[in-house]
Amino acid sequence: MVVMGLFGLGVYSILGTLKSSRNHSQKPTQEQALVYLPGTVYVVQGGDIYSLSNLEFTPLKAPPYDWVQVEPAPDGDLLAVAFFAAPSSYSNVYLLNSSGQVVRQLLQESSTQYFGNHWAYYPKVSPDGSTLFFTTDWLDPYAAYDVDFEIAAVPFASPSSSPTVWSTPNQYQGGDVEPIPLASGGVIYAKYAVSTAGATYAQLVYVSSPYANPVYLTTPAQDCSEPALSPSGTELAMVCTNNSLQATTLEVASWNGGSLGTPVVISDGPMAASPSWSPDGKSVLYLNTLLSNKASPFQLWWVPRASSAKPGAPEQVTENLNFTATSPAVWAS
Amino acid sequence: MPAANRPRRRRAGLRSKQTSFSWSRHRALVAVLLVFGFGLSGASGVVAYFLPAITAALNITGHQTTGKSGKSKGATPSPSPGTTSAPSQPFNVLLLGSDNDTKFEPDHVLTQTMILVRVDPQTHSVVMFSIPRDLWVSLSTGGSAKIDAAYSYGGAAAAIQTVENDFGVPINYWVWIGLGGLVQLVNQLGGVNVVAQMPILDDEYPSDLTGSNPYLQARIAVLPGPQRLNGVDALEYVRSRHGDILSDIARSQKQQQLLLDIKAAAKTLGLADVPDIASSLGNSVKTDMSLTQLTSLLPLARAFSDGDVNEVIMTGSPYFGSVIESDGEDALAPDWTQIDALVAQYFPT
Repeated sequence: MVVMGLFGLGVYSILGTLKSSRNHSQKPTQEQALVYLPGTVYVVQGGDIYSLSNLEFTPLKAPPYDWVQVEPAPDGDLLAVAFFAAPSSYSNVYLLNSSGQVVRQLLQESSTQYFGNHWAYYPKVSPDGSTLFFTTDWLDPYAAYDVDFEIAAVPFASPSSSPTVWSTPNQYQGGDVEPIPLASGGVIYAKYAVSTAGATYAQLVYVSSPYANPVYLTTPAQDCSEPALSPSGTELAMVCTNNSLQATTLEVASWNGGSLGTPVVISDGPMAASPSWSPDGKSVLYLNTLLSNKASPFQLWWVPRASSAKPGAPEQVTENLNFTATSPAVWAS
Repeated sequence: MPAANRPRRRRAGLRSKQTSFSWSRHRALVAVLLVFGFGLSGASGVVAYFLPAITAALNITGHQTTGKSGKSKGATPSPSPGTTSAPSQPFNVLLLGSDNDTKFEPDHVLTQTMILVRVDPQTHSVVMFSIPRDLWVSLSTGGSAKIDAAYSYGGAAAAIQTVENDFGVPINYWVWIGLGGLVQLVNQLGGVNVVAQMPILDDEYPSDLTGSNPYLQARIAVLPGPQRLNGVDALEYVRSRHGDILSDIARSQKQQQLLLDIKAAAKTLGLADVPDIASSLGNSVKTDMSLTQLTSLLPLARAFSDGDVNEVIMTGSPYFGSVIESDGEDALAPDWTQIDALVAQYFPT
């Protein structure tokens, strides 16, 4: 009788093991990278920042905030965005050292007034190290419900200064995001819009100065966003949907300081996201699902030779993980 | 003596055979009992495992509606409601989604989402046709109102009858899902991958999923681009409309997109996953399909790829242009000539 009872229990347990993984994932510290990448790579998963070095992941010793984005900063430091939850929701930007310790808080977006809380995302330091660009929200006091993202900038040395606004978002259309400050002093960013036919799209634009008329670098049909400029400043990686609602491609185009060359697809999806360049400018890291399962969590991928002239084939860098796809990996030497 | 012994031997032999036969029978009986016992024990394990699913599934399925008269403008072939094998003829499903927080009385909720789905098993094609919730229509229960009110006046039966009467499409099945149901479903799937079409910013998003005050607001931001959303984030993505110039039209686009993303995520599921998912849905999902009908449709759902799906959304003119004022709120005045032509294109008779 005992054996029979155990058998029944065994059947129950075996059925439990037959559950699909339902695309669940591991912590990075439980996995090794599949590919050796020189230097150190920083990624975000589940609110934590991890460094990847010599195939091993290590959690950074950052304060216990909900970290949602990480970006490179001068001197090997990191810009990191911490999300603070509803109802008054806001996000702050911190400067962390490579171990995760806070060097200083850069942007403080919380307020005791509900509408005084703000978002700060996609922080980027200008190539000369003088200016901190970021995306923040702007609530139109004369238009009910209208909140759009815009591009703003503050001095990196004194970020509590009043920000300079660089863009005028299309109202009720999402706004302007993902600034890439250029050595020339201008900025490339992604501008969202809705066509008269009801199609939503993003275009990469270039502006030479605050409020300057945007020069459109891509077409509405390409629907490109998430720009990443190579260290040499001559190649731009971007993510484009080409009118697909469910898929993206990773593309690279040459950049001459005023316009883009013909883009070349270096990863044909299914959900390529958030590209970033290697320190030597030869490779692109990005996030993507498994090629065979676009419902799987996002893994780290790379294209070893990511030139628009002669690109190589993408290779999967991690498996069983679940990286935050809206945070580009930071690749430090 | 030997002769005298013979019967004894025979008797002994007989006894030996009887003993052997009895022992064999005993062993067979024990074996049968063991098999039966293990079978019973194993079956108990199976029943115990699937009991929550069976209970939940019985709670979710088989909600009968009265009043599906079929008095529609058109008529399309429909599968027998009692069938247990996968249908071979085209059939239509009305998907209904509601804000069912504590602001509303249960079963007297508005349907913010109404998607008419046509499945053609033979051509392997699916049409998803979103009905704007603000469309001003004649209700099956009498009078005129925005179409999202039909459910609040007469439940699924009234919503179905209204859609059948106004759009001329016979509805074979319906599925209703509440806010919590969507969140639980996505969480049980381990999240869904979406390509967010644009940044979603809303400073006055209803914070009614948890807590005691359903009138609270929250600030939300969903970043654009490819990403993995949990249940709450997915709900924010498809529910928010304040900061979108397309308002409900954009919401319809995102809802259809999420349905396909959920379908993609559900492809990895197996039978052993059913208990967790069914149990988590609780009272947040209802359908008139029986458990066997639902089971027969699942393989069909897996067989379709995204390329087989036609997403149809009426984006303003010429389907509706002018606005009707109703109790201080705007409603969309339909141009039925244009809408009927569109419906005829995707829901042929």
